[in-house]
Amino acid sequence: MNYVLQTHQLTKQYGSHAIVSDLNMNVKAGDIYGFLGQNGAGKTTTLRMLIGLIRPTSGEFELFQESFHGNRIKALERIGAIIEYPGFYLNLSAVENLEIHRRLMGIGNQESIDEVLTTVGLFDVKKQKVKHYSLGMKQRLGIARALLHRPELLILDEPTNGLDPGAIREVRELFLKLAKQRGITFIISSHLLSEMEQVANRIGIIHKGRLLEEIDDKTLQQKTRRFLEMKVDDDQRAAYVLEQKLKVTDYQVAGTGILRIYECLDQTDLVNKTLTDQNIGVKEIVLSRENLEDYFLKLTGGDKLA
Amino acid sequence: MLNVVYAEIIKLKHTKIYWLILVALIPVCLWSLMAVSPKVGPDGTIVPLDLQELFYRQGMIVTILGPLLFSLMTGYVVAREYQERTINQLFSYPVSRVSFLFVKLLVVWILISITSILSFLIVVSSTLFVIHQLDLTTVLLGLKMNLLICVLSFGTIPVAAAISMVWKSVIPTAVLGGGVSLIAAICELGHSMDVILFPWLTPYWPVRDLAQGLAEMGPNPYVIPALVILIVTFVVSLGFCIFYYTRADVHSGT
Ligand SMILES: Nc1ncnc2c1ncn2[C@@H]1O[C@H](COP(=O)(O)OP(=O)(O)OP(=O)(O)O)[C@@H](O)[C@H]1O
Ligand SMILES: [Mg+2]
Repeated sequence: MNYVLQTHQLTKQYGSHAIVSDLNMNVKAGDIYGFLGQNGAGKTTTLRMLIGLIRPTSGEFELFQESFHGNRIKALERIGAIIEYPGFYLNLSAVENLEIHRRLMGIGNQESIDEVLTTVGLFDVKKQKVKHYSLGMKQRLGIARALLHRPELLILDEPTNGLDPGAIREVRELFLKLAKQRGITFIISSHLLSEMEQVANRIGIIHKGRLLEEIDDKTLQQKTRRFLEMKVDDDQRAAYVLEQKLKVTDYQVAGTGILRIYECLDQTDLVNKTLTDQNIGVKEIVLSRENLEDYFLKLTGGDKLA
Repeated sequence: MLNVVYAEIIKLKHTKIYWLILVALIPVCLWSLMAVSPKVGPDGTIVPLDLQELFYRQGMIVTILGPLLFSLMTGYVVAREYQERTINQLFSYPVSRVSFLFVKLLVVWILISITSILSFLIVVSSTLFVIHQLDLTTVLLGLKMNLLICVLSFGTIPVAAAISMVWKSVIPTAVLGGGVSLIAAICELGHSMDVILFPWLTPYWPVRDLAQGLAEMGPNPYVIPALVILIVTFVVSLGFCIFYYTRADVHSGT
């Protein structure tokens, strides 16, 4: 498998306080990796380590299958990043800021500046000083800048911070398009589950500096599948009846008298009738969805996520 | 590398850094105007313009204001990346941090040179404008003095850079620079030869050499020790800057 990033026991301590502990992240080429965690979980700290802004206390990592240590400059040519806040020289216009970026990245053509500005919808205000930009505009300009040198990996720390719902959707579509068309790999941090669910194909959950789990697309889908949950007086017999009569195979007993079936989702009536015909008492049938939120709560032992 | 220099220079577009240069140039202009305007001596004859004296005063203005202005320039160039939260981005470029440091110092050196050379040009042109002739030997003396001011003033720049990167703000450098300028004013008005031992006053050495009619004259015996002190200051503070800039964890924006 082609890994773009692998970290090994990555740890950052301030004094005796571990902010990030023994992190083992695996990001494959083409992934949109959602790096999910609450405020203060250690997301930014991790991402800072990944582009060499801070040094790990211990542990190491490889970017593009080469140890970062000793290959920093080479790796950075292939990465676009926004860490924490899209910082710009406020006295300069968007174009001038991107021109600085173009120079420092050492890339040739000037037209690409207009191209990325169009992509993020800032072409018309490109001559305005960034001082006059709103946070949302800065965020978009940050994305434009991160794209300008056609990176293979984008590391974005809460990139939708400050965007309105419409813009969030646009940005999400842009990410999906870039991943698909250019095969760009993304690492996107967020504290918003719902947002990650819609864009990521892999999610790493960090909590109090530890990576609790990395789940991929398919597992995620299973975790978030829709199901019919029914309260019956005899779950064993109910399961047997559903298997026999409706050929239901994908089900689960989720507690005494509680049955979850992942099929026949739009046939509530039929399910109900079949069971009552066999004299099984049905107290309730609801269509429900296991969501990532529940999953997260389970993992973190009850700490709420925004 | 050229790209890094270019980038550092466009960053200064539309900034107030050029006002700092003006702060030095305005007193030079005023002084020059005063000096070149015809004066009548006590015996009723017109006193001839003393160009060397004019350069001497110009040098004093630049070396007294220099500690404040040049450390403000350094502070701005270094600390703004932290204050404007651009340091994360800056250090994510495929360019070594040492290169950024050197280029920033280079930019400061260019600003110092602009200040000093423009001051020199003001003196020369105002003289030319009023009396239509120049004594070339004196002009060369003035030029030499200004070039030495550029080089010697740069010696303490890494100190200002170090303070700015540690505090991530321009204020401590500004306050210290202001204090040093005050000391410079007092020392230069006292005309003592040994003040050049203080590294921020080493640039006064070529200035004082143009002075006429002071109590102590002749070559300054403190030049060698002063230069040694200045070089040690430069090397030590530059070493600290390199160490700190390349090693430090970067957190701006939090
Ligand atoms: N330089 C530092 N010194 C000490 N502690 C720090 C430092 N930087 C961050 N921390 C602490 O590390 C923890 C994690 O911070 P981090 O910024 O990585 O969290 P985050 O997951 O990005 O949170 P958010 O969602 O708020 O951005 C916080 O508790 C913070 O107080
Ligand atoms: Mg953060």
